Amino acid sequence: MVCGLLRPDAGSVHVTGRPVSTAAGPAKQLIGFVPQDVALYPDLSVRENLRFFGRLYRLPRRRLERRVDEVLDLVDLASRADDRVESLSGGMRRRLNIGAGLVHSPTLLVLDEPTVGVDPQSRHAILESVTRFGEEGMAVLYTTHYMEEAERLCDRVGIIDRGRLIAEGGPRELVQLVAERDRVRLTAVGDLSAYAEACRRLPRVEGVARGGDRGDVVELVVKDARSLLPDLLDLAHQQAVGIRSVEIDEPDLEAVFLHLTGTALRE
Amino acid sequence: MRVVLAIAAKDLRQRLRDRSAWVIVFLAPVLISALMALAFNNNDTFRANLGVVDLDRGPAAAGLTRVLRSPELRGTVHVRSYGAEAAARRAVDAGDVHAAIVVPQGFTASLHGGSAAPVRVLDSVDHGLQAQLARAVTESYVAQVNADRLSVATAVAAGAPRGDIPRLAAKAALLRLPEQIRAQGLPDSPLKVISYFGPSMGMFFVLFTVGFAARGYFVERQQGTLDRIAAAPVGRGALLIGKSVSTFVYSLAGLATVTLVSWLAFDAEWADPLGVAALSVAMAVSVVCLTALVIALVRTEQQAQGLASILVFALVLLGGNFVFASGTTPLIRRLALFTPNGWALRGFTDLGTGVRGWDAVGAPLLGIAAFSAAVTAVTVLLLRLRRTS
Repeated sequence: MVCGLLRPDAGSVHVTGRPVSTAAGPAKQLIGFVPQDVALYPDLSVRENLRFFGRLYRLPRRRLERRVDEVLDLVDLASRADDRVESLSGGMRRRLNIGAGLVHSPTLLVLDEPTVGVDPQSRHAILESVTRFGEEGMAVLYTTHYMEEAERLCDRVGIIDRGRLIAEGGPRELVQLVAERDRVRLTAVGDLSAYAEACRRLPRVEGVARGGDRGDVVELVVKDARSLLPDLLDLAHQQAVGIRSVEIDEPDLEAVFLHLTGTALRE
Repeated sequence: MRVVLAIAAKDLRQRLRDRSAWVIVFLAPVLISALMALAFNNNDTFRANLGVVDLDRGPAAAGLTRVLRSPELRGTVHVRSYGAEAAARRAVDAGDVHAAIVVPQGFTASLHGGSAAPVRVLDSVDHGLQAQLARAVTESYVAQVNADRLSVATAVAAGAPRGDIPRLAAKAALLRLPEQIRAQGLPDSPLKVISYFGPSMGMFFVLFTVGFAARGYFVERQQGTLDRIAAAPVGRGALLIGKSVSTFVYSLAGLATVTLVSWLAFDAEWADPLGVAALSVAMAVSVVCLTALVIALVRTEQQAQGLASILVFALVLLGGNFVFASGTTPLIRRLALFTPNGWALRGFTDLGTGVRGWDAVGAPLLGIAAFSAAVTAVTVLLLRLRRTS
């Protein structure tokens, strides 16, 4: 909807005062769209892709060529400019995917989960770039499931759960919502589903979620973790769950989400 | 306009990088039409080597030989004489001559009354066409002779003295049967195989563009680039026109290549180059319309491929791309009028037989335009229904 791909059921989107619609309005000239999946032409070269997407925004020929060179440098693909996209690595394609949204120097860059499925180096490069865009004055609308990214990059964060905006504000403001809560991370073995359900019924527990690569983590948002910890360990003992490690964290955006939605984010 | 051209240029660039598209639209039609031209070559190299056995040795038999050696048949019919029927038979069987005409003894005498054995044609299954020609020339000559006999008999019955029969026969021989009936609209030049099958194969393979283009649309949708275009300040109209322009240019280039190669390399002949261009343009427009119809009808790349293939084969079978229109049943000829390629082939046939201008391409152009308009109307209706559903 923000990019004018879908008609809103209600409400409207404005970019620098100009309404966005599905028609080819002037607001679209201001938006750079970077879809979640790589949306490029694999049988065209890197340069041809950038040129094509630049032409859609009616850039004059000279400016287009200059911008294509600038973007190639920006996404560090100048040496691969004449190679076909199909020959690039996944990380390079991701970077080019972002570059294609930048050719026309947009006022607002919409990035839809740009780091999903990206190797650590490319992810770092993408986050660095986004930080730089913000510093250069470009507005960036960044959707992500990774709260640490939102915390690192964003001035304002909106949390959407099941299609509804349930909280909005600066990262610090949002963390204040759970300022008196702690996040407890238990790594354990045993029937963790039953254990998590039992934890949910304890007083002062406000959110429970399963996590960990092997499903061996139970995360909780609680009030006063230190006084609650003996109860959690007792409960584990009763349920024959072996606790391997306990971490107590200061509240962060992930804790905010857990608190507000009661479920884990990475789904 | 710049955006339209950008979309069209991008599509064309992608199309030209696809080797299978090169083979199907440019190479295959040229090769197949060339093969057909070689297999069914009917241009000026047609030749009938005919043997003549003159057992009569009279002026009537000599007259038949003169007809076979007349300027009208020079270059097509070559005559060789044999002294006996057995020798002629052996020559036909050996393939030395394609057929032989045996003029029986007493053929000339029969002009003065009485009867003679019939003139016979010795033929071979290997050279049916040449045998038919020999039979046609002989029958025509015998019909003339019979007409002469009838004239003489009529004169004698009316009281002419029998001593005048040779003079009357000679006089009758100077007369000729009335001009044969000639159907209006029949062309002067024979249609060369390549003049028909060149554009025919071009159309057949260019119709595959429907599948390429429709599939390309769904591939783009799947890979997200269509969303990216929709997020840019590009109207739906510009996108549609851009994609249509690329399909049109590609189809036209395919047809132009085949017609040019047929003309330059294989001596295809059409009376009117402008007519050829007009038919090719009309055909390319109909390919664009068919592509839009397929896109409107299906929802996936696989469905697009399947429907386009069915459509292509239905059109070429009904339109007469594999057989001359004259060789099909009246029903198929009527059904061909519901296909753009059927209409285009009518036009190319007329152009290939010497008809020029609007006479050759007027009706085909209108027929193709009607087809394209009907397909467009159905497409618009389907797209509207889809939008509201």
